[in-house]
Amino acid sequence: MTNYIPTVGVEVHVELKTKTKIFSDARNGYGQMANSLTNVVDLGYPGTLPTLNEEVIMLAIRAATILNCNIQRVMHFDRKNYFYPDIPKNFQITQNDTPIGYDGYVEITKENGETKKIFIEEMHIEEDTCKSAHRKDKTLLDFNRAGVPLIEIVTKPCMTSGEEVKLYLEKLRELLSFGDISDCKIEEGSMRADVNVSIRKNERDPLGVKAEIKNIGSISNAKLGVEKEIERQAKLYDNGETFKPQTRRFDDKIGDTVLMRIKETGNDYRYFPEPDIPFVILTDEMIEEAKKGIPMLPDERRRIYVEKGVLEANANKLVQNRTISDFFNTLLEEKTDFKIASNMLLGDISAYLNREEKELNETTLTKERFLELVKFYQEGTITSKNLKEMLDMILESDKTIADIMKEQGIENITDDSEIRNVIKDIIQKNPESVSDFKNGHDRAIKFLMGQVMKETKGKANPRLANDILLEELKS
Amino acid sequence: MKYLNKGISEIHELLKSKRIKPIDLVEEAFDNIESNKDLNAYITLNKESAIQQAKELENKEVDNILFGLPIAVKDNICTNGLRTTCGSHILENFIPIYDATIVEKIKEKNMIIIGKTNMDEFAMGSSSRTSYFGAPKNPWNKEKICGGSSGGSAATIAARDLLFAIGSDTGGSIRQPASYTGIVGLKPTYGRISRYGLVAFASSLDQMGPMTKNVYENAVLLNALVGKDPKDLTSANKEEEDFTRFIGQDIKGMKIAVPNFLMGDIVTDVVKEKIKDTIKILEKNGAMVDYVDVKYLEHAMTLYQIIAMGEASSNLARFDGIRYGFQAENVKNIEDVYLETRGQGFGEEVKRRIMVGSYLLSGENAKIYYNKALSIRDDMRKEFKKVFENYDLIIGPTTVSTAYDLTDPMDDPRKSFMDDVLVIPVNMAGLPGMNIPVGFDKNHMPIGMQIIGNSFEEAKMYQLASFIEKELNLDLTPGGER
Repeated sequence: MTNYIPTVGVEVHVELKTKTKIFSDARNGYGQMANSLTNVVDLGYPGTLPTLNEEVIMLAIRAATILNCNIQRVMHFDRKNYFYPDIPKNFQITQNDTPIGYDGYVEITKENGETKKIFIEEMHIEEDTCKSAHRKDKTLLDFNRAGVPLIEIVTKPCMTSGEEVKLYLEKLRELLSFGDISDCKIEEGSMRADVNVSIRKNERDPLGVKAEIKNIGSISNAKLGVEKEIERQAKLYDNGETFKPQTRRFDDKIGDTVLMRIKETGNDYRYFPEPDIPFVILTDEMIEEAKKGIPMLPDERRRIYVEKGVLEANANKLVQNRTISDFFNTLLEEKTDFKIASNMLLGDISAYLNREEKELNETTLTKERFLELVKFYQEGTITSKNLKEMLDMILESDKTIADIMKEQGIENITDDSEIRNVIKDIIQKNPESVSDFKNGHDRAIKFLMGQVMKETKGKANPRLANDILLEELKS
Repeated sequence: MKYLNKGISEIHELLKSKRIKPIDLVEEAFDNIESNKDLNAYITLNKESAIQQAKELENKEVDNILFGLPIAVKDNICTNGLRTTCGSHILENFIPIYDATIVEKIKEKNMIIIGKTNMDEFAMGSSSRTSYFGAPKNPWNKEKICGGSSGGSAATIAARDLLFAIGSDTGGSIRQPASYTGIVGLKPTYGRISRYGLVAFASSLDQMGPMTKNVYENAVLLNALVGKDPKDLTSANKEEEDFTRFIGQDIKGMKIAVPNFLMGDIVTDVVKEKIKDTIKILEKNGAMVDYVDVKYLEHAMTLYQIIAMGEASSNLARFDGIRYGFQAENVKNIEDVYLETRGQGFGEEVKRRIMVGSYLLSGENAKIYYNKALSIRDDMRKEFKKVFENYDLIIGPTTVSTAYDLTDPMDDPRKSFMDDVLVIPVNMAGLPGMNIPVGFDKNHMPIGMQIIGNSFEEAKMYQLASFIEKELNLDLTPGGER
């Protein structure tokens, strides 16, 4: 197969996490009974008019900021006219002339550590269509989704592989979900990606014929879809064949793209400015207000965690779970051992959460109780074995850690003199082991420690006991 | 006993003193409509619920001047539970489940909606002859058109069926029929009245307004209809005002402009003469009247066609029979649903305008035509603004001639646009405009004068209009006083 240079651009639709729809006061929700979240405005009834949900504007400004876009200060909406049953007015209100954000970028980091800027041509606000379900000779329409606010983010054709597309989509999902802009749940359709793929032989050649892949159900499928499409186009060119610009969809079952339709030339959407919505002027105050709402983003979280002593791998893992990361952020002002804290959250606590299918904020763990827990652990008052035994109580009750330890009989003796007396007694009773130690046999310590634990019924603080034992042996 | 030929203040006193009840007015209105049935002014009557509402009002306090008064509403304004057809087959059986904001306001005042008036299909036309339900007739001469598109509202007021009607005006559709039927009709400033629930024709031009037999009643009704509406982003936030407040004041020192375009060759002599006579009266009473040049007025019709048809082609796209309205039978696929439903559901004029509008917006045309029209419209607004820097009001004829025959051919769309050539500039500039009767031609058909105000200066227009009304003291009841 000849070597070709692929060119890939991505268009992503993201549903915004607003309370109500963009142009009506119907609730914005997912998974409800069909047509229960809709009203006469969403259904395009005669005489109804759009209103404009301000929350949408604020979230869109926030998204534009996060994606390093310039912000359009005077913007309007446009009508995109086409007939289709899923668009109730037979036009979609969108932004054609004045997208709220333009000329932005996000940075991806490739496996070899290299970074690359993915350039964003523009991002605009528009309304979602309704959902159609085809049944035999009928089509059912659910208007719950009609009028849900979307932002569409369009990159420049600047990616060259499925891997880059995957990294870009992962980065975008991370940014938009941490920015509290969207749930970005691909399986629920709150994030949808279409990719445009073409290939050419040389950098100097014009871009090749384009195929658009729609209906991609996951980020890994986006990668696979791009790779398969590059392969398909290369084979055609190698065989001296050509193809027409087309729309394809990714078929999950066969793991490949299939043809949907050949693109007609000159799709005519008869765009014109939406006369029912006056121009929107974005003031400095609005932009400041929107920016204020941006939570700490993943890159900054990772940087701070590492600064606090968390291992880099663990810093990455913490950021992968939003609730755990948010919880971790509440600790940042405190004096604690962040390494232990992160190990504990990612280890036993995460395992528990996975097993119980819970999020951290659905447990009883508070910042105060967690700090107490870390302290006991750091002191050696509780062992990792203790932690496992106590986990149920820690995450499902309101008791203090000290109380839980008492209840569980994990009552460590931390009184120096009490332990010292026990150790002195044991040293006296075991002269052979003492001489073994003095002859350099470290095993003797293990034996003696065993005796200490036996004598104290395991309640001696192991680290303290160890220290005292060494002291006494050396004296 | 007849009450609906009396003035509003007198009727209000009768209601307040319990000498009459709302039901008396409602029954009288329906009797009048019945005896004027041949005018075909109504598409749907609201008899049962109007009578019920009137009875319910008997136990309520008469708390405002519009209380208990019957009103007719143009059939492109949504009324909850009452059929709203837009004069079209495609909405022949459409019953809204919501009220237009203007209807809510009417109901808040406890006015009683008597019925839905006849109109050009989707307000597209200037003689109401494009109505699916047949043309309404002019009470002054039943062989004549009553204008349009608010022809039914004009006819029922001119015939003195009742005191109040609502019309809508996208390119003269209140003022022009008012002129042809000898009544008072106001198109308020764009944004004055919420458009929520008015079935859109051209969103950036549409505005509803009151149609009445006299100036005072017009202003009183306007008082009840205006206001910012959260459901209509283009509605204006203005302080509450009483539009009757200047009525009765003299016009000494008032500065009035007459654009030369409005008195040009396109206007018939009989109309011009009547306007000139009226101007003389104004000058005699201390007003200063100047003829002025206002640029771009001659382009208003072209701009209107581009903007109105472009917007209409998009606004009317929603009528596909999928969610409501007429749907063609025996359709094979989705393509068929669109083609057959819209092909059978819309009349010729509507289809023509959708087609032209779609063409004007397609591909590069949007830039060449629509966007350019919007920018020239801005220039025209500025021109009007300049005039209002030096003048209080603008006047001229409302129509180039009096009402013509119902049988006149309809096949030349350019000719029918002549009906509106003098009223359209007002819509383009978003200004308030009104018609007031100033006389008759030799066949005793009414001639109207147009008064144009600066944005949100309706009160000043009523001042001049009421002065003219008083000075002329015309008998405006077809066939004389009843």
